Amino acid sequence: MNFAPLRRAGVYVFLSLAAFISVFPFYWMAVGSTNQSVDIVRGKLGFGGNLLVNFQHLMSQVDLYRVFGNSFLIAIISTVLTLAISSLAGYGFEMFRSRIRERIFELLLLLLSIPFAALMVPLFVMISRAQLTNTFTAVILPGIASIFMIFYFRQATKAFPRELRDAARVDGLKEWQIFLYVYMPTMRSTYAAATIIVFMNAWNNYLWPLIVLQTPDNKTITLVISTLTAAYTPDYGVILLTTVLATAPTLIIFFVLQRQFVQGMLGAVK
Amino acid sequence: MAQTRLDRGEQFNGWAFVMPALVLLGLFMIYPIIWSLWMSFQVGRGANTSFGGLANIQRLANDALLIKALINTSIFFVIQVPIMIVLALLFAVALNDPTLKFRGLFRTALFLPCVTSLIAYSSLFKSMFSTDGIINQVLLTLHVIGTPIPWLTDPFWARIVIISAITWRWTGYNMIFYLAALQNVDKSIYEAARIDGIPAWARFTRITIPMLKPVILFTTILSTIGTLQLFDEVNNITQGGPANATMTLSMYIYNLSFRMMPSFGYSATVSWVIVVIVAVLSFIQFMIARDRRRAS
Amino acid sequence: MTSLSLKGIRKSYGTLPVIKGVDLTIDSREFVVFVGPSGCGKSTLLRMIAGLESITAGDLEIGGKRMNDVDPSKRGIAMVFQSYALYPHMTVRDNMGFALRFAGKPKDEIARQVAEAARILELGPLLDRLPGQLSGGQRQRVAIGRAIVRHPDVFLFDEPLSNLDAELRVHMRIELARLHRELQATIIYVTHDQVEAMTLADKIVVLREGEVSQVGTPLQLYDDPDNLFVAGFIGSPKMNFLAGEVVDSGAGSATIALVNHGGVRLTKPLGGRLPQKGERITIGIRPEHFGEAGEGTDIVLNVDVAEHLGSTTYVYANAGGEQLIIEREERHMGDTDTLAVSISPEAALLFDSAGKRLR
Repeated sequence: MNFAPLRRAGVYVFLSLAAFISVFPFYWMAVGSTNQSVDIVRGKLGFGGNLLVNFQHLMSQVDLYRVFGNSFLIAIISTVLTLAISSLAGYGFEMFRSRIRERIFELLLLLLSIPFAALMVPLFVMISRAQLTNTFTAVILPGIASIFMIFYFRQATKAFPRELRDAARVDGLKEWQIFLYVYMPTMRSTYAAATIIVFMNAWNNYLWPLIVLQTPDNKTITLVISTLTAAYTPDYGVILLTTVLATAPTLIIFFVLQRQFVQGMLGAVK
Repeated sequence: MAQTRLDRGEQFNGWAFVMPALVLLGLFMIYPIIWSLWMSFQVGRGANTSFGGLANIQRLANDALLIKALINTSIFFVIQVPIMIVLALLFAVALNDPTLKFRGLFRTALFLPCVTSLIAYSSLFKSMFSTDGIINQVLLTLHVIGTPIPWLTDPFWARIVIISAITWRWTGYNMIFYLAALQNVDKSIYEAARIDGIPAWARFTRITIPMLKPVILFTTILSTIGTLQLFDEVNNITQGGPANATMTLSMYIYNLSFRMMPSFGYSATVSWVIVVIVAVLSFIQFMIARDRRRAS
Repeated sequence: MTSLSLKGIRKSYGTLPVIKGVDLTIDSREFVVFVGPSGCGKSTLLRMIAGLESITAGDLEIGGKRMNDVDPSKRGIAMVFQSYALYPHMTVRDNMGFALRFAGKPKDEIARQVAEAARILELGPLLDRLPGQLSGGQRQRVAIGRAIVRHPDVFLFDEPLSNLDAELRVHMRIELARLHRELQATIIYVTHDQVEAMTLADKIVVLREGEVSQVGTPLQLYDDPDNLFVAGFIGSPKMNFLAGEVVDSGAGSATIALVNHGGVRLTKPLGGRLPQKGERITIGIRPEHFGEAGEGTDIVLNVDVAEHLGSTTYVYANAGGEQLIIEREERHMGDTDTLAVSISPEAALLFDSAGKRLR
């Protein structure tokens, strides 16, 4: 008896089912954005004609341009600063070895597993004492120095040939010039992968903005979704339309840069 | 020993590169942690605080809601994490077979949930799991159930919703770690095992799993931290309810600090509970990994 | 052109010494090779000359100026690295002109220098390629080109051929020798391969455990090694070493008994220190210096293997627990089990128990 074809069929059924479950909510989200809330709650599976109405309802409740602008601004500034600070540190830890810095790095690795929940209370008190609540600075600043990203860049730097730095020194470059003109261009794909991850995390960030952003003016897209969802009678048509809008940027990045996306997710593990 | 100009330069540059990050981490990570230790000895609400000695620690022991949050977190951890890791492993092994058709398609589909924001997908799940919602409709049509399940209003089912949601979002994420690790495994090991007549199941349990052990440990640690952080989903889908059945530690700290009259002193104490739990779990996981390594 | 001098150069990492006091002068236009086994400190010494590693103690002078604290780019040196260290995101042209750009040279001069170097190295057609699109040998030439463009006083090469396959290595060796003649430059070259050292060098510096073991021309080191280490390191196949014991010593000569060969005796005239009677001695003899039986002190060997290389034959043989290699010119050794050869006093080199040569 040969069970191989049977087993092979089983694998396909298993994977197909899993793939269906993974993808179905995306379909649900797309369909929902075109339907009325009552239909969504009743589980309507086909596209409807309510997209424009949902959009108008959404626009009447929130300043969508402003919200998107806020989210983009926060995500872009966070990404640029996080990459700069973390890659400098990762490069520094790997290229310039000293016993003290090695100890500091080990300490950072220990801190890596401390959840944000343990930090949010004192951080909030700090931010409010500095009178920074309701500012983007408050959202961005605490997340810039990411231990995970420092670790990621240090690991990636291990693949950066030391002789390249030596060659640049012989060629007359200062250390910061080596970083700028040799390291950064050489590590483009590392930066690309990191950009995707940091941007996505900043774009999707919820808890910390929820704590420090309390005026409607500077709300981000994630805060809008949660406000809409928490309503006494949530309008699911509007909510699902908003989730489509919120997911679109990361979804586009994923499909355009799939390889770097996955590489970034794998991050420091290799 | 006299330092040369070059040695001093190396030292200076070494510090210069890491300093911005160290200053920021000191300010926004180390200082808050230490400060919250001091805060955890403060009692009182709002701006009215005073030194309370061990009062907050005594309060911990009698805090029924904290115990509930701990139990909920443990339930999510004990049930959800193993299911997710086993599923992710199975997907990874299936997708690692080069003769499988539509590999890329399956991989992309299974990974797709990772692209969503926690808030967006939890809103999706809330809409899908409403009492007349699509999930109940499908189950009724398939005659799996006779009456609609009160997903979000029953404590048991609400937990199931949260567990399903997290599993949906994170299985693909874990899968790609295993896939990457599997791709680094020397193929000839499997060829040798086949020649030696080792059956498929044994190849999985005796070769694949041991080889992936470091990655599995790593993802387990990530998931553990993730469970302790659990906030976005519960806040959005169930708001900790019904009857606090889905209240998590993070959510409890948030409620203590930012709902109604804030009690920062006590929430700092609860924050330190998390720090201690993380420390203990990391230690246990580290020991397990070391023992296994010794045994093998 | 420029000479170099190293005076009492030392290097230690913490308390661990890696270079233990090197004194050396390198003349203008000289091709100097640092050679030694891995870990002997040859690359570290080169990197100290380049300014990539700090000098713990001693003085480094290039062209009469003390350079210990001068930046690598201002020492008048250029370096070719083992991995070539080409900037992967720049074209060959930009790689070669990079240093000049940072030295603030005008564009047209950079272009001229790059074109000149490309001509010398026949890199013209490759100028707009990226390093990733080049073969190993081509990358090697670009790395050399990058050095040439800067018109350095001293070229430093750190094991530049070790990443090439055997055939290309021989080719590049000849290329380097030609380049040295053409550029009239001072070259310091690091390798662990004594064949490279022998074929390229005007002067070889043999390093061992952070110290200079011997300095000399290739043939001086080959014919007249100062110690057992140099004698064993230089030459391929290696010099044979036989154990001996002094049985008589005096009047400008010593008589040695070959203890593993039935105590046959060899008398060697010595100009320097005479060894004590009873002292342990090592006798060194190169594979090609064995004579026919009857011409000197005869020993009989058991043949293990004979390798016929066409022009010569290497006989691997043993006697009394000593493995020996004998080079013979006849093409057909026949199927002999034993071989009798002789050692003449002129061909035999004596080393005392500390490994020092007795002359």
